[in-house]
Formats: sequence, C-alpha cells, structure tokens
Amino acid sequence: MNRTYLAGDLRALGAAGLMSWRQIRRYPALLFGTVFWPVLLPAVWVLMGQAYSGGGDPDALNAFATRAGTTGVTLFVFVGFLMYMWLSALLWGPGTALRQEQIRGSLEAVFLSPVSRLVPLFGPTLTNLLFIVADLIVMGIAVWLLFGVVLPLQGVLLAVAITIVGVPAMYAMGALFGAGVLRFGEIGPAVQFTRGGLSMLCGITFPIAMLPDWAQTSAAAMPPTHIVDAMRNALLKSAGPGDLVPAAASLIGLAFVFGGLAVVVFRWLEASARRSGMLGRY
Amino acid sequence: MDEVRAAFAIARKDIRNVSRYRFVVASQVFTPLYQGVLPALLFGASFAVAGHVVGLEKSIGTTDLAGFIFLGGVMSGLVATAFWSMAMSIRNEMETGTLEPTWLTPTSREAIVIGRALGGLFWFAFSQVAIFAIGIAFFGLRFRPEIVLAAPAVALAVVAMIGVAYLLAATVLLIKEANVFIDSTNFLFATASGVAFPVTLLPGVLQPIAYALPTTYAMDLLRQAGLGTRPLFDPRLEYAALVLTTAIAYPIGLWAYRRADARIRRLGTISQY
Repeated sequence: MNRTYLAGDLRALGAAGLMSWRQIRRYPALLFGTVFWPVLLPAVWVLMGQAYSGGGDPDALNAFATRAGTTGVTLFVFVGFLMYMWLSALLWGPGTALRQEQIRGSLEAVFLSPVSRLVPLFGPTLTNLLFIVADLIVMGIAVWLLFGVVLPLQGVLLAVAITIVGVPAMYAMGALFGAGVLRFGEIGPAVQFTRGGLSMLCGITFPIAMLPDWAQTSAAAMPPTHIVDAMRNALLKSAGPGDLVPAAASLIGLAFVFGGLAVVVFRWLEASARRSGMLGRY
Repeated sequence: MDEVRAAFAIARKDIRNVSRYRFVVASQVFTPLYQGVLPALLFGASFAVAGHVVGLEKSIGTTDLAGFIFLGGVMSGLVATAFWSMAMSIRNEMETGTLEPTWLTPTSREAIVIGRALGGLFWFAFSQVAIFAIGIAFFGLRFRPEIVLAAPAVALAVVAMIGVAYLLAATVLLIKEANVFIDSTNFLFATASGVAFPVTLLPGVLQPIAYALPTTYAMDLLRQAGLGTRPLFDPRLEYAALVLTTAIAYPIGLWAYRRADARIRRLGTISQY
C-alpha cells in the first residue's frame, strides 16, 4: 500500500515538474533574465572591486587577500553571485509555487488531492535545478569571456559536487520560508528581506571576515555560507575533495536540521490555514 | 492651470496610495540600505589599508567610501524613480483596468506623467533624507559644504529623467508587459551613469553610451561638489553637456510619448494588457 502511495506521489511530482516546464516554455521572454542577471550583476561588482582597489593596487589587493584569503576578486565575486542566484531560485522557489497556486485560486484544490504535501511544495520547483546548472554554465562562460578567468576543471567538478550536496539543505530552507505563505499569504517583502540578510550574512559579495563575530557565528548555521566557501576553496585555492568533506558534512547536517524544522512548521501552518480558511484566500 | 492642478492631484493620489502600505514605505528606505549600500560599504572596506580605501583614492581622488556609495545611491534612486514610479506605473494602471478611464479624462496625457513624476519625486526625496540620516548617524557620512553647489546639476538631471520617463512610458504603452524591459534597462542606465563605479572603468565600447546620458554628468558633478573627487572633464564642460543632453532627452521623450499615445488610440489597444 505504501509503495503504491509512493509511486503515485512520484508520478505527481514528475507531473508538477512538467507543468512548471511547460509554463516556462510558454514565456520565453522571461528566460532573458537567466542570461542577463547572472552576467551583469557580478560584472558590475567586479568593476566596483576595480574601483575600490585602484585598478589592482598591490596594497589594496593584499588587504583584500588578508580578509578573503585570495586576490582573485573576479572569481570571488562571481561565485558569490552564483549563490545569490540560487538563493533567489531555491529560497523563494517553494514559497513562489504555493503563492502562485494561492493567487490563481487553485491551492485549495491542490491540497484536496490525495498526494503528499511535498508535491505542491517541491514539484513545481524541480525546474529550478535546471536554472542552477544554467547559471553555473552562463557564469563560467561570462567570467572567461569578459574577464579572461579560466575555471579549473577539478574546481568546476567539485563545485558541481558541493552544489548537489547542498541542494537538500537549500530546499529545506526554502520549504521553511515557503510555509509562511500558508499563514500570511503575501510574504514577498519578508523573503526579499531574508534574501538580503542572507546575502550579507553568508559572504556573498564581501569576505565574511568583515562581519562582527556574532554575525560570523550565525553565518556558520546557514547552508549558503558553507556552499560559497567550499566553492571558493575549490575554484580559487585548488582545494581537493578531501578538503571539502567538512563543508559537505555540515551541509548534510544542516539539511536534517532545516528539513525537520520545515516539516514541523509546515504541518503547524497547514493546520492553522485549514482552520482559518487561509488556503482559499489571498 | 487646470493641468497643474491635475498633475498635483495625481501626485497626491500616488502619495496616498503608497503611504497606505507601511511596509512598502519602510522598504523604500531599508531595501537600498541592505541590498546596495551595506554590501558595497563592506566590500569596499575589505580593500582598505589601515582604515583608508587607498584604491578608491587612486581611482577617483578620495578615500571617502561612504560618501561615494551614498551619493551613487542618490542618482540610482532618481533613475529608479523615473523607470518605476513614472513609467512603469502606466503598466500598473493597465493591470488594474483604470488606464482607459484615465485616458478618457480631459487631462492632457503629459500631465499624467508629470503627476506621477511629482509623486515619485516626493518618495525619492523622503527615502534619500532617511537614508542620509542613517548614513550620518551610523556610517560617518559627511559632505563638504560645497555640495549645495551641485543642486542645479541634480535639478537638471530630474528634468532629463522626466524626458526619459516619457520615452519609457511610450515603450510601456506599446509593449505592455514591460517588467523585464524596465528592470533590465533601469539597471543598465544606472550602471552606465557611474552610480557604482567610475564610468572610465566601463569597456571602451560602452563609454560613448555613458557620455550620452545626462545622469553621468550629474553624478560626477555631485561627487565633485560633495566629496572633492577628480572630475571626468572640466566642470563647466560637464554642465554644458548636462544641459545639452537634457535639452535632447526631454523633447525626444515627449515626442515618443505623443506618438505612442496616437498609435494606441488609432489601433484601439489602450484597454489591452
């Protein structure tokens, strides 16, 4: 019986992913952003880095290296923005999926279907995994063509590996924030604020050493910090697979913590939404 | 006189609408702070040697990182006001289905954009005052008294941006779903104006575009006056270029807006979205 349910849920998950893919294909203009932002956002920050370093002044670059552990400002920034794009897609993905159903008036109907709650939460966001890979490719090409930085093959493979390890933790975080839709409806501004806060906390645009001690300690509890750090180590400091094991272990541990928390919060908010009738309102 | 009253009425309506959403009002101050100013300050400070951003001095002639970033925010905010408050609000009227009734009123189409400009500029001024107050209180933001001398440059930039807003409003009227267009062109316009870094760092092919924008000169004049940065050109030449680009941008924008208005009325697409 359980196996039947599982097979049905997996079919429903695939169908939700397919639905999302069809919708994306119908609006090709929106794909413009998948090339525009991953290239231009970090490019502007690289040029800001050139302005702040006086076009590569050795003293300024050494000062940066003491805080960031590298003088490779370009790759440092691009890796940070790769995480920024993923934060946008993964952190807000599950919440967006629920919110869209809520706005269209179909959330109630979806929740009446006999499938696991994981399906409406994660099914429509399966396509985000494609965008993660697309961002990696687009940014790798951009950093090479615009700034002449060639990514090391081992670094790229390790970056992909750490991404795969980090996806469950990121999705768990996304589910935790997405559950808020069930209680509050429009949580866009709150997620914007969270994304901005995480961007600052996790060393996306500047070295984490610039933060006060309490913020650095908090950052260690956030999955993006470990992913960004591991990717920078792989791409900028030629770290090997063994060097990334601690980061991978932290990400797996955080996936369990955030996953467990997300399950509890989601169930609690769903029960609250059923009582208050929030599923049908927006 | 009726047109002026209508423009002020539109501005009042926009101000009232926004003020009803307190989170939106707060986010006008805090979003630029946590998404732009703070990360840029910490990124810039990571290049500091003994507390001085020596690289910035080499690039533009000042180590005043906070001043550089906060003044960049002024021009960035002005550009965003033109793109989102003045031009994109036409799209919002389309979506709520009120554009056609608005178009049927005896108010001139130009007054509709001017009214939105006034409303947008009110919130722009409000957010800048709040951001500067935070900057002075927490980030050691200080300006030279000569900054007041840049007021004519900012005023000219406002006029130029209203011209640009007419042009953008014309585009919104024609293409309708303009979110991606406005978002990306706003980013490009602000970047090419030198809000985040000196335009001399732009790739060679993009520099002529930067020098064709009125905001590039207004940005440079504002930083010269407020921080004593090294000018791109002689300041008198920059003022001349600012006046010239404004004199070009305004009539071109107005012409495009009138053409778009005539076209949507001829094709009957005003109620479409």
